[in-house]
Amino acid sequence: MKNLSKGAIILATLALFAAASAVAEPTGAEIMLAVYVRPQGNDMSGVLTMTLVDARGKERVRSLKQISGSYGSVDKKLMTFQSPADVRGTSFMNWSYAETGKGDDQWIYLPALKRVKRISSEGRSDYFMGSDFTYDDLGDRQPSEDIHKLTGSETVDGEACWVVESVPKDPKDIYSRTVTWVSKAKNLGLKREYFDRRGALLKTLRISSSESVAGVWVIMKAEMHDVQKDHRTRMEFSDVRINAGIAEGEFSERAMTR
Amino acid sequence: MQKTRLVAASVAFALATAGIFSLAAEDGVLLHGYGRSKVGALLEDGSWFISENTLDLRLSCETGDAAFYANPVLYERAGEVQLPELREAYIELGGDAFDLRVGKQQIIWGKGDGVFITDIVSPKDLSQFLIPDFEELRLAVTGARLDLYAGAHGLELVWLPWFTKTITPGATSLWAPAMPFPITPTFVNADIPEFALASGEYFAKYAFMGKAFDLSLTGGWFWNDTPSYAVLAKTLGAGGLASLTVEPEYYRTVSAGYALSGSVGPFVLRSEGAWYGDRRFQGNPMVYADGYAEKNAIQYLVGTDFSVAGINFGMQFIQDFILDHEEDLVEDRIQNTATFVVVKTFLRETLTVELFSYVGFDAPDALIKPKLTWDVSDALEIFAGAYIFLGDSGDFGQYDGNDGGYIGAKMSF
Repeated sequence: MKNLSKGAIILATLALFAAASAVAEPTGAEIMLAVYVRPQGNDMSGVLTMTLVDARGKERVRSLKQISGSYGSVDKKLMTFQSPADVRGTSFMNWSYAETGKGDDQWIYLPALKRVKRISSEGRSDYFMGSDFTYDDLGDRQPSEDIHKLTGSETVDGEACWVVESVPKDPKDIYSRTVTWVSKAKNLGLKREYFDRRGALLKTLRISSSESVAGVWVIMKAEMHDVQKDHRTRMEFSDVRINAGIAEGEFSERAMTR
Repeated sequence: MQKTRLVAASVAFALATAGIFSLAAEDGVLLHGYGRSKVGALLEDGSWFISENTLDLRLSCETGDAAFYANPVLYERAGEVQLPELREAYIELGGDAFDLRVGKQQIIWGKGDGVFITDIVSPKDLSQFLIPDFEELRLAVTGARLDLYAGAHGLELVWLPWFTKTITPGATSLWAPAMPFPITPTFVNADIPEFALASGEYFAKYAFMGKAFDLSLTGGWFWNDTPSYAVLAKTLGAGGLASLTVEPEYYRTVSAGYALSGSVGPFVLRSEGAWYGDRRFQGNPMVYADGYAEKNAIQYLVGTDFSVAGINFGMQFIQDFILDHEEDLVEDRIQNTATFVVVKTFLRETLTVELFSYVGFDAPDALIKPKLTWDVSDALEIFAGAYIFLGDSGDFGQYDGNDGGYIGAKMSF
């Protein structure tokens, strides 16, 4: 009994060490999985202002209303442009599916044509509305698409972060690797560097403001800087509401045309 | 002199635009729109045939479940200010499961690009053939439209007590089409269907939007927007027909159709088709006493859109059938047409290059419309384009001498 107790104590101590090590040093894959599965609410609405700044400092501003929600295995998003004037009322709707290999369904409504049209899905590496964000940058990239490696810990804007390097499994990916600084407290990426296929730094993403809304960490301000072209895109969310109870029926042809 | 007038008019439009914008801001009225200047010339002789300034205003006001919308448009063409047009003006009431819109409104149906198979409600302004943007080809209709919603399903009912006809080019217009008669006839004025509750037009559409596909089923009992020509009198001479008097007639017709689109991998596939009952087709006036025969007809299209290396492509094949066809009709039993569109953006989507074309396989003939649009700023757009007709006959080839180009600028606010 004594020997047994001694053995149990040793085993328990080893287990505690292992657990402590795991808490202190999770793997890169575990960190990115935690970012991916962090609570994001069932639905979200807000106003997104996107400011494009070229190398000479000339600005172009796009403002759009956005609603999104998860309904079973389908994530739905509807964006309606408020400005500039020539695209006012234009709306995009996207339905994406958890099912592997199933492409998104997308529609566009152009007020001039007064018609909702199903369109072919944008390539994930295409840039969104002339910005520095690709559709993939804006979406939830599955952690299983990359090989992750924890490279260290650093502080970003006063927050302790894990530094994780991610290398795409797909050799045709537009990035050769990305490096992400993940807040240890929020499971939220605060900074990311994107490297082109030649291995040179292409873009830097900085999150300058995040807020907890209804218990969910929401990125409020972000800036993507294309360092090779010295072009920037600032994104700012306002009027953000989480779990407001957006019905699935809001993602409809009627909603697009209103 | 004309150039001076154009410049002066452009400045006046810009000032008027700025003034209205300021007024709207002060009054809190939601007002937007654009001012646009556009000039175009024929390639053959360099003569200007488009010199147009446009002020297009969109006024909307929303209170609770009710909304008001108006779209007045002012044109100045060839130095002369036209009467203001009210492209749309309607009141809309909305509920959880319905929308009711009453007034002058454009109602656009169908899934085809540049083809109007189930798009049977709003007539068109064809005074410049298919040269203007598709937005400006549409004419509004006056009546009531009720939309009912249940989940992904919708039902639309339209009642039009006022008849609106398609605007066709004048006899002396560049765009006057070849007439389906062996000699030049004498025309008498058409009888336009008058306002009457019983003689209204009725349309219905069921629509479904889903994961795999979108579907709409359409039907209508309506006045044909483009007239047939009824022979009123004819005289025969030694060489055959010596004189002919015809009257344009608007007549009742019925139609039932479908429109379907779906995503298959990187492709969007679509199809649209309709059956038209007792449509009138012009024929040899020596054979047909009325100058036409009533036949059922079918029109359908199949098409696809896809994207390769950031370039968007679209193509459609369209086929027209006249059922129970007779040899002495002017139109062939089957007509085959295709459309192609290619669009590519550059410079962060500020520069758009697009090419839209119709190809007729029977004549053969074609219309090719390339266009370049540059967004100089969020408000200012400069554009240039051309329209090239190929062939000697057919819907497009008949305008072979009308090849032209245009350039313009548009200020949105």
